[in-house]
Amino acid sequence: MSSFRTVTMVTAVLLVVFAAVSGNRYYLDIFIFTCFYGTLAVCWNMMAGLTGLMSLGHALFVGLGAYSVAWGVSVHGWSPLVTWPMGMGLAVAAAFVIGMLCFRYGLRGYFFAIATLAFGEVAFFMVSATETLGRSDGMIMPISSTDIPGQLQFFEKWPYALIIMTILIGTIGVGEALMRSRTGYYWRALRDNEQAAEALGVNARAFKLRCFMLSAGISALCGAFYANYVAFVDPRSVLGVELSIQMLVYSIVGGMSLLWGPLVGAAVLVPFSILLRDYSAMPGGDIVVYAVLLAVLALLLPQGIAGWFVSKWRT
Amino acid sequence: MTPLLEVQGLSKSFGGLHALSDVSFDVAAGEIFAVIGPNGAGKTTLFNCLAGAAAPTSGTIRLGGERIDGRAPHEICHRGLARTFQLVKPFRGMTVLENVKVAAFSRHPSAKQATTAAQAVLDRVGMAELAAVDAETLNVAQLRQLEIARALATQPQLLLLDEMLAGLTATESAAMCERIRQLPREGIAVIVVEHSIPVVTSLCSRAVVLCFGKVLRRGATREVIADPRVQEAYLGNAQT
Repeated sequence: MSSFRTVTMVTAVLLVVFAAVSGNRYYLDIFIFTCFYGTLAVCWNMMAGLTGLMSLGHALFVGLGAYSVAWGVSVHGWSPLVTWPMGMGLAVAAAFVIGMLCFRYGLRGYFFAIATLAFGEVAFFMVSATETLGRSDGMIMPISSTDIPGQLQFFEKWPYALIIMTILIGTIGVGEALMRSRTGYYWRALRDNEQAAEALGVNARAFKLRCFMLSAGISALCGAFYANYVAFVDPRSVLGVELSIQMLVYSIVGGMSLLWGPLVGAAVLVPFSILLRDYSAMPGGDIVVYAVLLAVLALLLPQGIAGWFVSKWRT
Repeated sequence: MTPLLEVQGLSKSFGGLHALSDVSFDVAAGEIFAVIGPNGAGKTTLFNCLAGAAAPTSGTIRLGGERIDGRAPHEICHRGLARTFQLVKPFRGMTVLENVKVAAFSRHPSAKQATTAAQAVLDRVGMAELAAVDAETLNVAQLRQLEIARALATQPQLLLLDEMLAGLTATESAAMCERIRQLPREGIAVIVVEHSIPVVTSLCSRAVVLCFGKVLRRGATREVIADPRVQEAYLGNAQT
């Protein structure tokens, strides 16, 4: 599929679903969270599945975006026009520093995963102990009774849906374009055999950093959106390791060899887990069902739903 | 005239192990040069140092008069030195053409130009009909060809070939030798690491023999092979 067709198809599917659920606040909320987790999973997998860099600390970047917005607006009253770029800038800078450290000392595979996990956890505990960031209670952002578009405050949910859809489509578009360019080829080559790639002229450190910084920037963008949508951030929801693991789970279930695979994983699992949680009769029952579903999917479709679909399509 | 590759006093130690000590030789443009020696003599370490995969402990390496020792592999590649690996691993989930494209991107940053260049290289090595094949389904001989195609797509002046004939049938290695013999005519000098003595004598004008990381002998291939010290070290002492 050409990159244009992938973007068109994703856009078409999103618009159809959006039209179908836009009349119902509950379903619209599920749709928004599906797009949010879908974007995160896609940009996480850009590193893990396409470049071979398994990060377990991606919540750090989501948190930088979310806390930039929450802190900026509640302490200084800054507009999203300031706080969103600030969050993304911080995340890109953090990824640059962490990446330089990890790649300089040749951390790969599990070691890279553990190093990123450590950075993420440090941020979690630092924020949980910082007075101005609301400690572990989190920060409630000021809410007015009327819509303030300049602060991205809307009573209706559809403006938020449009924003996160734009972010998701933009991420897929940028990702698809990159995968067809030199950068994408270099990423895949680095994932498979770094030594061979370097011998063929690939600057491994520079291209891994590029991937890490892009992925961190998009994660922060999602985090900034989350803060404006939910109007409340706390360390557990935007900095916890659970969030990083979610990106991994959606990617594995959706299919890690394709850019849009993780989106499929999120589209299946996010609504399913929200509905299960809201409708399960027994406390904790939803988690049992969810876990069984994950195990079954992992056993039946090891290449993920999207990977399975594409292999069926080709034969 | 300055030689294309000039190696002087090259040493490489891993802790107390001297994998290479004081190795010197040079390779002229358009020459096919052999590095021979028994297993563990330091041939692969030498390749790693030349290609930048390992930094030499001391000594200098000059390519076209410029020092390349201690440079990163991708910089050395851009200066015109390409290598193949003993264990050939194609990039997963990529076709033959896409594998070569990765290499072609080093000279052609745009995807379109890289595709054209990669196709031209596949034509040159006679793999054009395999362009759309998934690289993981190739057989050993085809993988070796792909390895050469990838190296050629970086447009090298000097190509290091690490045991390209190992595991090939007689017909396949004859075809491979023919391919290697053409490279100087395309303006590419070659260094081969090879075990088969008949192949080395037929392909290479000059050779260097390594033994325990030291240069045992260097010079014209026939004279080098005939040296009793070389025969003893390399072939084992066959005479009783």
